[in-house]
Amino acid sequence: MNLLVALQIGLREIASHKFRSFLSMLGIVLGVSSLISTLALTTGIERGTRAFMQQVGGLEYVNVINKEISNKMFDFWNLSPGRTLRDAHAIQATAPLISHVSPELAFGAAISSGKKSERKQVRGVFPDCFVVARHELAAGRFLADLDIERGLRSAVVGDAIAQLLWPGLKPGAIVGKTLLINDRPFEVVGVLLKYEREEDKRRRAKGGTGKISRSGQKWDPFRGKNESVLIPYSTMFFDFRAGAFPLDSMESVRLDALTLRVGDLADFRPALDQVRAALSATHRGVDDFDLETREEWFDRMEASIRATRLSGGLIATISLVVGGIGIMNIMLASISERVREIGIRLAVGARGRDIFIQIMVESVSIALIGGLLGVLSAFGLIEILKLIAPNENMPIMTLGGIVFSVGFAVLAGLLSGIYPALRASRLNPIAALRYE
Amino acid sequence: MSLVHLEGVSKIYRVGDQEIRALDSVDLRIEEGEFASIIGPSGSGKSTLMHLLGCLDSPTSGRMQICGNDLSVASQNRLADVRNREIGFVFQSFNLLQKLDVIENIELPLVYSGMPAAERRRRAEQVARDVGLGDRMANRPVQLSGGQCQRVAIGRALVNRPRIIFADEPTGNLDSATGQMILQMFRDLNASGKTIVLVTHDSDIAAVTRRVIEIRDGKIRREYCP
Repeated sequence: MNLLVALQIGLREIASHKFRSFLSMLGIVLGVSSLISTLALTTGIERGTRAFMQQVGGLEYVNVINKEISNKMFDFWNLSPGRTLRDAHAIQATAPLISHVSPELAFGAAISSGKKSERKQVRGVFPDCFVVARHELAAGRFLADLDIERGLRSAVVGDAIAQLLWPGLKPGAIVGKTLLINDRPFEVVGVLLKYEREEDKRRRAKGGTGKISRSGQKWDPFRGKNESVLIPYSTMFFDFRAGAFPLDSMESVRLDALTLRVGDLADFRPALDQVRAALSATHRGVDDFDLETREEWFDRMEASIRATRLSGGLIATISLVVGGIGIMNIMLASISERVREIGIRLAVGARGRDIFIQIMVESVSIALIGGLLGVLSAFGLIEILKLIAPNENMPIMTLGGIVFSVGFAVLAGLLSGIYPALRASRLNPIAALRYE
Repeated sequence: MSLVHLEGVSKIYRVGDQEIRALDSVDLRIEEGEFASIIGPSGSGKSTLMHLLGCLDSPTSGRMQICGNDLSVASQNRLADVRNREIGFVFQSFNLLQKLDVIENIELPLVYSGMPAAERRRRAEQVARDVGLGDRMANRPVQLSGGQCQRVAIGRALVNRPRIIFADEPTGNLDSATGQMILQMFRDLNASGKTIVLVTHDSDIAAVTRRVIEIRDGKIRREYCP
């Protein structure tokens, strides 16, 4: 007997007990749809998280932060000049595994377009800042070496600032405008892209105004980036800092931030060691700094993705196993109902193998049909998920996920068919024929 | 060469500690073209004998050859192959599959001999006409009378062109007029050259055959020609 005949007989058997077959499929349907949805959800979360990780600077981002001095070292803290531009030079000179160094000065200033005035943080930066913070331009240019060298009054502003000062204007039209910082005129040379999370992008695409009310927003990781007002480091020093402490030079003034980018992630640890060595020298051995990396944070995110996938996968697997048990149950009931039929088939020359194949084909068919129904219902389920949580990470259904889930269902059908099929194929023809 | 050749064949069932000797060193030959009946009261071993002859079971001891196959010690698969190719069965209770129509019931043995679907159908239709069911091909067994059901069963037994047909109380579930018709069919089949072995407890039915093998307590007691 070939498989096609077995399939014909099997489908007929399934069709002649529609309700019973449907009930036995139900477990598989639910299992497959939940497995596909779980995979789609975790894929969505994963993609969203990875995009987010990229936008916040990626794993290569390292932040040099001040550290409280231990009591033992307390007497020496004065020896350390703190974070200064010398640190940046030292790292550039002695830490070749670090590709970009971005020292910053910051202060709160009144910024205005001539009409209204707002207090915002203004930061003096080097061109490396745009690489380390992964800034992208909507229009114009970044600050260049020449801006630093000449101490030009050029500024690059974030999207939120641009919208605040020149509402309604396109980024391209804002380039060239005059920005007043504490009443000193700066030329806007660049406007940055609007940074937002995937879910906010979707919310905006869905017809919202795109304006996120500040109180309604729980946490916007890109608020700082969008509210950037970036001017050359040198301009910042001479215009706003130089007079405050007459002994300070551009070199010795304490930085407000020092961030780095590791050139190659493969050399992450050695790169950090190089930075520590460089800073140890410039800080005269005083342990007053620390390197903050994204490693732990990202690891936590990865771990939570893994946990979601694992728990979702586990639940779906359990429901598929339950579905498989359901199929086995029905197949056992079905063969004890068909003992006589099997006896007749054996009497006219069916071999045990034919009966075995027959029951296996039926079991797998139920699982496969259930699996395909599960795929359909997964589409529905995902639409519902989107409706319930439109702002969360969008579930992404992948072909791989669908194939995997249906394959898993078929495997469940295969495994749960073996025992009933073995029992059926080992029936004694004489006993089976006599069975009432 | 005999179609059936038994030499000292015994079949012993074990029930707990007890041994039940259902067949006790039976010698039997049935030649091609014979029309024989096996007769005996219930419990005499005639069903056991028919199961052995029909390759549904293998003997405990002795030599058994069916249609040239030595089946003294045979696997279930080998028995199934011989059943499929060489043997047709007709049962008292018809044993048709209720889910299948007349044609599908008749072609069932061909499904397991691996014949292509189109040829299977053609052969089954021919056989259905031969047994007089040309106009009932698409009917289910429930829509047929007892005599028609038994004719479907005979069709199923014939469709693989077996060399020998076993009929186990084929008229047991039929009224006497229909029973006579079925017996006449067997007689006609035999006349056209088929070997037929009838199993019955009714000596009147056995009387229509040309050789009667009487069995009692697991042994062949006597043979005669009516």
